[in-house]
Amino acid sequence: MKYEDWNKISRIASRKSLWVLHFCTGCGAIELPPVMTSRYDMERFGMGPMATPRQADVLLITGYLTVKTLKRVVNVYEQMQSPKYVISFGSCPINGGMYWDSYNTVKRLDRYLPVDVYVGGCMPRPEGVMNAFLKLMELIDEGKARGWEKYQKYYEQYKRNQKMAFNFGGEENEGA
Amino acid sequence: MKEYELFIGPQHPGVTGNMMYHLWIDGDTVTKAECNVGYLHRGFEKLMESRSWMQNVPLVCRICVPEPDVNEMAYAMAVEQLMDWEVPERASYIRVIVLELARIAAHLMSIGSYAGSLGIYTLPQWALGDRDYILDIFEQLTGARVYHIYIWPGGVRWDMPEGLPKLIEKTLSYIEKRLKLYDDVLFRNRVFFDRAAGIGVIPKNKAIGWGVTGPNLRACGYGYDTRKLEPYAVYDEIDFKVVKYPELGDFEVISDGCDAYTRMIVRRLEIDQSISIVRQALRKMPEGEHIIKHPNWLKWKAPAGYAFKRVESSKGEYGYFVVSDGSSKPVRIHVRGPSYTHGVNVAETILKGANMADVSQILFSLDVCPPDIER
Amino acid sequence: MKALELIEKGEEMHGRAYIKSDRDEVSSIIKKLKENGFDHFVMLSCIDWIDENEFELVYHLWSYEYKEHVMVSVRLPRDSPSIGSMHGLFPQIETYEREVHEMYGVDFEGNSRLTPFLLDGWRDIPPMRKDFDSKKFAEDVFDNIPEIKEEEDEGI
Repeated sequence: MKYEDWNKISRIASRKSLWVLHFCTGCGAIELPPVMTSRYDMERFGMGPMATPRQADVLLITGYLTVKTLKRVVNVYEQMQSPKYVISFGSCPINGGMYWDSYNTVKRLDRYLPVDVYVGGCMPRPEGVMNAFLKLMELIDEGKARGWEKYQKYYEQYKRNQKMAFNFGGEENEGA
Repeated sequence: MKEYELFIGPQHPGVTGNMMYHLWIDGDTVTKAECNVGYLHRGFEKLMESRSWMQNVPLVCRICVPEPDVNEMAYAMAVEQLMDWEVPERASYIRVIVLELARIAAHLMSIGSYAGSLGIYTLPQWALGDRDYILDIFEQLTGARVYHIYIWPGGVRWDMPEGLPKLIEKTLSYIEKRLKLYDDVLFRNRVFFDRAAGIGVIPKNKAIGWGVTGPNLRACGYGYDTRKLEPYAVYDEIDFKVVKYPELGDFEVISDGCDAYTRMIVRRLEIDQSISIVRQALRKMPEGEHIIKHPNWLKWKAPAGYAFKRVESSKGEYGYFVVSDGSSKPVRIHVRGPSYTHGVNVAETILKGANMADVSQILFSLDVCPPDIER
Repeated sequence: MKALELIEKGEEMHGRAYIKSDRDEVSSIIKKLKENGFDHFVMLSCIDWIDENEFELVYHLWSYEYKEHVMVSVRLPRDSPSIGSMHGLFPQIETYEREVHEMYGVDFEGNSRLTPFLLDGWRDIPPMRKDFDSKKFAEDVFDNIPEIKEEEDEGI
């Protein structure tokens, strides 16, 4: 069997069984329980919640991120095994959203983590969330969802940006 | 036995949101607990100081995520008190309907999450699915499922459309039928009696001193409800009962109160009371205006003063302290969330001596919501 | 109003009792109110009156018996604000004082738990003060973080 055929089969298996990490990072998490439960059932696509990052495929950034949460999200993202995908909800990770002048929220997510799919809205409806999941499955099928490779390739740039955010623009904190 | 330090961290299905508890355990028992919040801090109060009175309305509803209407209501009441505006009666009735539907939705979510923490996973699927029908009503009335921006200072944004009372009545009868199924699965379940009775007890003589409010306080035996103590909107014209221990209706009284069992039964019975309030409000609602004619919102200036207004939310007592100095922007708005006391000091005290397997259950039965604590 | 009868000073403001007091008598006023039915401590707010160079601390209490809300207000100088802690009277005051210390820089003597509560790694002036510009801070810190520069030959 050729290498490309094996990749295709592994991508089919991957997109039919995406496990979503259970992490409610922001206010967009209120529209996630309707997607997970019986009304908008996401389990018919093979997606289910998973408690530990070691066995999850998709990280959902539901809404805004504060600096304190970003530290833990980066930790969680680095604990997940490749291939891994990131979906961001809402308008806050795109350009700051409603809290554009806040001193504690991180404005643009793609400077700190590689994002595969963005969902617009404040908050996105469950139908919008389902659409994003299906779009992610399409991208996986075509081989275009490569966020984790980008993170490995530009690792120093991502780390530099994250450190600048954690220190609020100042110098390195001792014991941070 | 050595003590072991654990973090029930922000990424965990056993905490009610994005917060962290730092525990020290000895064997299976918790000896010390510390709460660590700040993962959701957006600096709301700072943001509200640089926006005008009307621009704060869309910002205010994002403070409490499961039940946004109480924030809009308390903010609108505080601004109306400063500006000395009188809300038309039809608007007050519509506000009561919106608040009570929000209370039913929040209680359904809380019951579902609590059952999930016990391991009864059928109930979250049912409860969150039924809560969606209430969000459909909100969508017909206000245009959005979660953040409504419907209760404005001076009234409500637009009138109820035709056919909405019929939809509300249909949804309420459906929920009443479903509640009987919930009783069989959770509230009369042997597992619930064994696991929840006597767990997470708040001492009765210290409950008020610790700042416990809402259903948690009523489960301790005090019948205090802001809708009866300081009636707002038209609650003084509607007839309803304050649910408190030991009057638990058809459910058994198997403990001394103030524990996880009683708290969840109080929430379950409050859904019945809310359904009755909505039905009465629909019957008694008069015709009339839905909002006063206020001046151009770009030129609102509130007279100088201090206003404090409180609202009974599904979690406890929500308070808004609004300070104005006569200009078009507020000087200070301070929001008091009910979980500020429940999640930090009360939880840290009652988690001492609890079993490790009960920590999650205690937090869900207190109904701690982290955005209230840190806004 | 019952509160105004107990403490013979103060005025009524929008249906609430508003009592102005000094640094030294605040503790005894709150203790007297607590012993006479005002047993629910609602919250502790702080207002920054930058033009008058003062901080105003407002202690809110509620009585279930008399259905009354009291606001006890204290003014502190803005350059060195400090007042005794009252967490012996109500345990939840410890958390409120912790937050006011972090957000405004007010010092509460006797409170041993004035550790950071909401912010992590903050090193600027306390953010709720009026001379802290949140919008400028957000622009200076977060908008200046550069984008990820990808290399030209992205042939995947």
